Amino acid sequence: MDELLKELHELEEMMLQCMKCGTCQSDCPLYRTDGRESSVARGKISLLQSVYEGRIENAGRILKHLDQCLLCTRCLKACPSGVKTDEIFLRGREVLRRIKKLPKWQKLILKTAMEKPELMARMAPLMHMGLKFGSKKIKDGIYRPMIPGLGGRNVVEIKSEAFVKKYGGLNRADNEIMRVVFYPGCAVNLIYTEWGTAVVEVLRHFGVSVYVPETNICCGIPAASMGELEMYRNAVKANYDALAVYKDAAYIITSCPTCRYGLYEMGPKQTGAECPLTVVDILVFLEEILSVRLQTGAEGRSTIHFPCHYQDSKKGLVENFVRSSTNTEYMKLDNQSCCGFAGTFSIKYYERSKGFSRSKIEEMKDKKTDKVYIPCPGCAMQLADAAAREGLDAEVTHPVTELYNFIKEIK
Amino acid sequence: MLSKNLIAKFAEIAGKNVWTEEEDLMCYAYDASFGEMCVPEIVVKPETAEQVGRIVRLCCEENIPLVTRGAGTNLSGGTLPIKGGCVLLMSGLNKILEINTEDMYAVVQSGVITADLAMAVSAKGLLYPPDPGSMKMSTIGGNVAENAGGLRALKYGVTGDYVMGTKFFDIEGNAVIAGGKTVKMVTGFNLSGLMISSEGLLGVMTEHTLKLVPQPQASRSMLVIYDDLMKASVTVSEIIGAKITPATLELMDRFTIKTVEEGTRIGLPTDADGLLLIEVDGHPAAVEDEYAKIKEICNKLGGKVHIAETLEERDKLWEARRKALSSLARLKPTLILEDATVPRSRIPEMMQCIKDITVKYDLTVGTFGHAGDGNLHPTILTDKRNKDEMVRVEKAIDEIFASALKLEGTISGEHGIGSAKAKYLESEVGAGTIRFMKKLKDGLDPKNLLNPHKMGL
Repeated sequence: MDELLKELHELEEMMLQCMKCGTCQSDCPLYRTDGRESSVARGKISLLQSVYEGRIENAGRILKHLDQCLLCTRCLKACPSGVKTDEIFLRGREVLRRIKKLPKWQKLILKTAMEKPELMARMAPLMHMGLKFGSKKIKDGIYRPMIPGLGGRNVVEIKSEAFVKKYGGLNRADNEIMRVVFYPGCAVNLIYTEWGTAVVEVLRHFGVSVYVPETNICCGIPAASMGELEMYRNAVKANYDALAVYKDAAYIITSCPTCRYGLYEMGPKQTGAECPLTVVDILVFLEEILSVRLQTGAEGRSTIHFPCHYQDSKKGLVENFVRSSTNTEYMKLDNQSCCGFAGTFSIKYYERSKGFSRSKIEEMKDKKTDKVYIPCPGCAMQLADAAAREGLDAEVTHPVTELYNFIKEIK
Repeated sequence: MLSKNLIAKFAEIAGKNVWTEEEDLMCYAYDASFGEMCVPEIVVKPETAEQVGRIVRLCCEENIPLVTRGAGTNLSGGTLPIKGGCVLLMSGLNKILEINTEDMYAVVQSGVITADLAMAVSAKGLLYPPDPGSMKMSTIGGNVAENAGGLRALKYGVTGDYVMGTKFFDIEGNAVIAGGKTVKMVTGFNLSGLMISSEGLLGVMTEHTLKLVPQPQASRSMLVIYDDLMKASVTVSEIIGAKITPATLELMDRFTIKTVEEGTRIGLPTDADGLLLIEVDGHPAAVEDEYAKIKEICNKLGGKVHIAETLEERDKLWEARRKALSSLARLKPTLILEDATVPRSRIPEMMQCIKDITVKYDLTVGTFGHAGDGNLHPTILTDKRNKDEMVRVEKAIDEIFASALKLEGTISGEHGIGSAKAKYLESEVGAGTIRFMKKLKDGLDPKNLLNPHKMGL
């Protein structure tokens, strides 16, 4: 216990920066729903301080409060004092997790996902079959599993073949101008495989050859969010080793902002190692590096959900992309809050997470949108579930799929 | 520690919104002030005014100290539960009940966030002028209880100037209706006036009727850069002396400019010794006229004037000012923000006093504030673990307040007295006033259960 307190104490310098001004209240999606200090960053910091200053004896009890954080980093961006809330909460969870261990079954799933990626890929057909038989099809690609405990959640189809199995290796472009690595992440590898296809094919179309790792190693963020920071660090290092092999590649491309955050922003801070290449989101790459101009002809009324981990400075770029490459009427959402997926949050606190997505879907209904562009597979899963639940018949997809559909047509 | 029986009584009123676990209590042991943690025994979050009344009555019957709390953004320790007891959270009463565009008022519950009200009012073409720096988080109830000021106070006044009526519960849980919806109203004592700045010592407010005004038709914002802070201070008194009342007239010293720029990267001139942020608003013709006069005064005193050409530029300027306080907090672990205020014409003298005190006690101080209304925020950056420095800090604060009073000012322009400034109150108002306040408090709250120990009462 003394050892743990010492470790928490090491966070003191970072935590003392928090002057409890309460600015974090204005941006915290959780606080905006319950108005409780334990939801917001300054409250959580105060709890950690109370542990090492001896005001709270049973340190394990505060884990549930640290756990109830979306890691959306809105407080980090809003904090004028520059308090590194994400680092504090991740480290805090790690320390407290040692006092209050993860249930064995959760740890097993996590370990499998983190440390046995080949097994995960091999299990895909099984999961695909399980889902088909054990659930009710709601609409194309969306199922409601009959397993109790999922709370009636609608899930997006797990594909029978992992993306890396089909695309692993070098996907050469004609008239090659450059090579990149595409890092699909777990969700694209097993669920939104069509996004992966779109990324690779669109890049090839523009003369970019794409390496796809033969095995997808999880970025580790799910482990980090559950307080298993060592598992996260191992995943980051394993990824760096695997990605360092592609010596003639110029960038690593992702279509998941959380993977980018995990590998490129938080990863170096937590491991002290450097990511071998710059990690760029696919839309940013197409706009800023390839300067792609394509009018796809997609129609309807569209909106964009901006994922929490999407770089703030690039959000305008996504809007430009949708405006310039589709014929859709773009309706900006007033509600720019988190969708509620937030990695493992929606699994642990599904009822709470439903509230965030419900309010967004209500606005989409009001604005009569029939296309929701989401540059993040996690958010897409959450909002696809909410749309099916709340009766919004809208297509939920990544903007890059529009380019791919267009390219397929003109070929 | 409250008995199980007593906790059950709270739960009977507020259902599941009652917390007594130590980790929940620890989240209400602080506010935004610099002070020791004070832990309550129970935290309760009512969702209706009726529940508030019952909780107040229960606390009265059971002799439980009661601290009402909005967003806890107050800077004078006003929501610290010094004697333990119950923290009553008002965030559950967060409805805007009415926005009346014909008679120009709004009726809101205490837990409504100020910025949410401002936005809702603005959507109807009206303006709720009070705009405290913390408006994105702070609540209307807290604004009234602390009589919060803001950036527009110079022309439009402070929260108290907009309170037409307030509903509250006295310590026995009796409902009191103060003021109302008419512009003129002289029915009995001015009880809403009594509740303004009452800091939770006289009753628990649940609802407020607030005056609204038409939105100004035009505005102009400007940033004026000086290579000498004293010249900026003189500009302030000259503008006021020329009988011009800008909506806002804010000042920042070199240290604050540098810090805000490092935190926000909005392009403030980091080599300037001081700057003024000025906004004039009103009828377009008056705006142009006032703007021209101000520009002339600024130029005469060596200020370089930059106009915000777009709304976006204007928002950036004000965002920078709003973040001044917290940006300073980046630099040192402990930040002590003071609130000394002087008559506007004495600003240059007060700035000189602050400079001298900073040198005398060898401290790091950033000063910014609402220069137009004389409200300065000298902000001391320190580390509470540094015992020697803390002794000097305390002496410096004593001298800052003494200087403000010598210049016919006040120890608090907008943050209130709370627990942090209780010891200075008598030096400003005298023993007779303290006795009067005490009698008032004793009469209304004989058991001293409502926010005890604040203002030294």
